[in-house]
Amino acid sequence: MEDYSISKTKVYTVSELNQDIKRNVEAGYPDIWVEGEVSNFYFHDKKHMYFDLKDENSKIKVVMFQNINRNLIFDIEEGLHILINGYISLYEKRGEYQLVAMDARPVGKGALILAFEQLKKKLGEKGYFDVIHKKSIPLLPGRIGLVTSTGGAVIRDIILVLKERFENFHLIVRDVNVQGVTSSDEICEAIDELCEYGVDVIIIARGGGSLEDLWAFNTEKIARKIFECPVPIISAIGHETDYTISDFVADRRAATPSVAAEIVILNKRETVEKIETMVKRARSLISSEVKIRKKEILLLMRRRIFARPETLLDRFNQVVGELNIRLERDIGANLKTVENNLINICRLIDKKNIIDKIYSFKTVIKNSDIRLISTVNNYINLKKSKIKYIMGKIADRNPVNILERGFALLYGVEKDRSIKSVREVNVDQAVRILLRDGVLSARIFDKIYKKIEPGFKNEN
Amino acid sequence: MKIEEMSFEESIKKLEEIVRELEDENISLEDSMKKFELGIKLSSNCLKKLNEAENRIEELTRSEDGKLIARELNLEKEN
Repeated sequence: MEDYSISKTKVYTVSELNQDIKRNVEAGYPDIWVEGEVSNFYFHDKKHMYFDLKDENSKIKVVMFQNINRNLIFDIEEGLHILINGYISLYEKRGEYQLVAMDARPVGKGALILAFEQLKKKLGEKGYFDVIHKKSIPLLPGRIGLVTSTGGAVIRDIILVLKERFENFHLIVRDVNVQGVTSSDEICEAIDELCEYGVDVIIIARGGGSLEDLWAFNTEKIARKIFECPVPIISAIGHETDYTISDFVADRRAATPSVAAEIVILNKRETVEKIETMVKRARSLISSEVKIRKKEILLLMRRRIFARPETLLDRFNQVVGELNIRLERDIGANLKTVENNLINICRLIDKKNIIDKIYSFKTVIKNSDIRLISTVNNYINLKKSKIKYIMGKIADRNPVNILERGFALLYGVEKDRSIKSVREVNVDQAVRILLRDGVLSARIFDKIYKKIEPGFKNEN
Repeated sequence: MKIEEMSFEESIKKLEEIVRELEDENISLEDSMKKFELGIKLSSNCLKKLNEAENRIEELTRSEDGKLIARELNLEKEN
């Protein structure tokens, strides 16, 4: 039987094993560079970075602690192809190992370039470069602010160009370090101070240099300051081909500092000429306008209506004349007729004739009057005499009158009616005889019937 | 808006506008005289403003008590 005793073999405890591995491995990889791709990137609490570095077949855990990762210029992102410098560290308790990063670099391009690209993308997405945010540069600034190094050539170039274009300008310079660790902060401070003091426009300028030299103008800090600045900013960094974040965010980019000076102020002489040209043009337009109008007026004045305005009346005169004629003709005719009628009537109503006629009428009436009166009188007289006659007749009939004349009335004794006929009495009848002065009673003695003719011819 | 209160930029823009308007044939003589007058005023305002700016080159610093002061800039001594 085989002896499977393992007394000769070392038996590790887990801790011992891990410790041992730790010693060996850490000693073997104290400072290495590893190339790979970032995956599973974890940085949520912005403290320590945790990610895997992998290639096609394999991966390894990486940690980058805060004290290291905060110095990174570029951002470590998921999928980034990267070089990590660090050491292997074993975590005994869990038996896990990881690469502790001390430095990182992008593969294929410089860290600065990558950082630049990353920041450009980030700010671009935030809208920092949008045209809508860009303020216009005033045409004639009262005060010009300049952020630059007073020691460089840039400031002289700018002043020279300014003097060339405009004899009188007010420039306020704020000196800064245009590169180095404090540069970004100094530039931000300079912008603040110029705004506080009061300027109408700011130029940020520096001469050419490497990406590192220009790096102060590629920070997020500067981008935010330029973006938020209420005063328009012209960015003139480096040479024509140099583009910095500050160039993108600024309200205007100048390819060189001299160009900035051209942008910031207009050319006085040219502008004065432009204004004078415009005034001349306006003057000539006016004078040609006046000439044209003058000609028009002269032409108008020659026209008959202005030269001889009375001709305007001609037409009216003509019309009036015609109307006059018609008036005379029509009304005249009417008047003539009326006149004739009037004359005829006057003739008829000949005054003397009338008066004579009136007199003769008066006479006629008077005569008639007289005749009437006499006729009436005659009539009245006739009637009067008739009345007299009748009255006489009546008087005759008046019994009292009869009695006065001596006649007697005969009455019966019983009756009160007078006796008018012999037949009404009998012989021996008692009668009464009425005389003028009394009454007689008598008796009829005899009666003889014999009619008496009227008049007094018949006497007994 | 009074002409004196207009900025240089506004004045020169308005002046350009007036010249354009004067070129329009349809403008009446009366209007064109008025505009011309206004143009003259604007142009003199522009010229006045061009000559108004002071001629100064200064450096800005913050004193110890926190005040911002602008002093004449002397470049030679920087070198």
